[in-house]
Amino acid sequence: MENSVLGHLMALERGGMGQQDQHDSQRLEMLKARAVTLRAKRDQIKQQTDVVKILKDKISKDLPLEDDAAAAGGFIEQQKSMLTAWRMQLKDLQRAHHLIGGYELVECKEGKSVCVSFHTAFEGVYLETYNMELDLTRTVQISRHNIPPSFPLESFAKQNLQKDFKAFLQTLSQNLNALAARRRQVCLLKELVGSVEVMESNQLCNILVLMCTAQSETPKAVLCTLEYGDLSQCLPTRVSIDCCIWFLISYEHVDLESAAMTLKHINSVFRSVRFPGFEFQSHSVT
Amino acid sequence: MEQKYEEEIQMLQQEIEMLEAEQEETLRSIFIEHGDRLQHELKSVFEGRGGAQKPTLSKLITEVRELEKDLRRQTEINGIALNECFVKTLHKSERKLVQQLRLAGHCSVLLFQVEFAVTEIQEGDALLRRVTELNIVVDGVEFKDFSAFVSRVEDTKDLLLFFRTLRTFSERCEERRQTFQHFQEKYPDVVSLPEGCRSELMIIRSPQLPGISMTIFWKIDVSMEGVVKPSLELLLKMPDQAREFDTKKVMENGSNYFQSLLQILGVEASIEGLIRTVCL
Repeated sequence: MENSVLGHLMALERGGMGQQDQHDSQRLEMLKARAVTLRAKRDQIKQQTDVVKILKDKISKDLPLEDDAAAAGGFIEQQKSMLTAWRMQLKDLQRAHHLIGGYELVECKEGKSVCVSFHTAFEGVYLETYNMELDLTRTVQISRHNIPPSFPLESFAKQNLQKDFKAFLQTLSQNLNALAARRRQVCLLKELVGSVEVMESNQLCNILVLMCTAQSETPKAVLCTLEYGDLSQCLPTRVSIDCCIWFLISYEHVDLESAAMTLKHINSVFRSVRFPGFEFQSHSVT
Repeated sequence: MEQKYEEEIQMLQQEIEMLEAEQEETLRSIFIEHGDRLQHELKSVFEGRGGAQKPTLSKLITEVRELEKDLRRQTEINGIALNECFVKTLHKSERKLVQQLRLAGHCSVLLFQVEFAVTEIQEGDALLRRVTELNIVVDGVEFKDFSAFVSRVEDTKDLLLFFRTLRTFSERCEERRQTFQHFQEKYPDVVSLPEGCRSELMIIRSPQLPGISMTIFWKIDVSMEGVVKPSLELLLKMPDQAREFDTKKVMENGSNYFQSLLQILGVEASIEGLIRTVCL
């Protein structure tokens, strides 16, 4: 009985290994095929690279590109390389326009509409891109876009869209960048400055209420309201500081002098232009 | 057996990446070093010399023509013309790309040269891109008071702000140039532009009234945040003898009067008004 069970088990084992073998050989075939494809690709690219190198060599030595020695096929390859070099430059130029914040105007629907993109960035960090499709059939009309609804798009369109398309694009770019910058500043504030808490903000980020805490033996805080009156800018037009907030009352002794020092510090900081660079650090005010 | 294939595949993939990068760099270097010759040779390619064009070539040519057309469109709508564009790829992997770019071009008549480095990192769905170095050189008589803005932009790496501001600045400069040129052509005896039509100075003088001159300073100020603000000022000069007759204190109040005039009539009408006062 042992024998037959063992025998049975062994037979099963052999059967299983057979499956494994099949599995293995399938995988082997796959790898072999992939290696062959890659080898072919590598050879093709190597050949192209060689042609390009020969072209470069001829050009730098000021040799004529058409010579009797060059077989017709070789000459076509050369022309292909030259075109490829020019195409590379054109694509680089396209990318450059993209990186410097170009509008990337694209014609769609056989010229019946155009699409533009508004790239935003703040201090070197690229942020959101907003897109818009404009219908050109009779008058210029905005048909689709992904600009937030709180943004005064209609009023800008009313101002400029029909009269001066470029001015419309410029105004939008300016204001969208300011919006993205204000939003980013709020993020940076939250991330980088520990002693500041964002109490309130809105979609357009043009009102910001911050609670700034100064660490000392008795923690003090001031409430700071920033109003951004000019939506095309990312600096506040009005800053009001309120230090009579409820929890100051809970402290026996409100140190007016240190509150005043805090205010002075905040004021001088806003007068200097670099908003996200400042630090509302604890001031050991004495 | 399997392992050998796996190793070969990895090696081939690396080789392909390297060859592609090499090809890219060589193609770019042909353009950088021999752009003129390349353009010259390309002319004959486009004209279809050298026998019948194979289908592969005509496909490439169509693609290239499309790209050229698109670039013309971008140049037109962006108001920025790029004459030079050199790209160097410092690092390229699946998730990260680091490139250095050198651009030169012009925005209307204002020339610029910009060198910057950009890093792109793919994090999931999002592409994080940032400018890590920025150097700007601007050339032109208009850029007298531009350097504070340029230094600030270089510090903050705000490439997009630079080009946005450059566009607006160039529009204001163009308005100034056209206005100055218009008045010089219309009143050549009275209006002079001692520093050229691209400068900020215009002098109004009548040959019949020697010693009396009105100088208009049309400054275009650019703040550190890139706010472009034109401002006009008037400077009056009168010989000392004439001052005796200045009972209405025009010399003292002239520049203020001019500011009021600007607010009511606008720039062109105000300047025209001034010019007419000396055209007796």
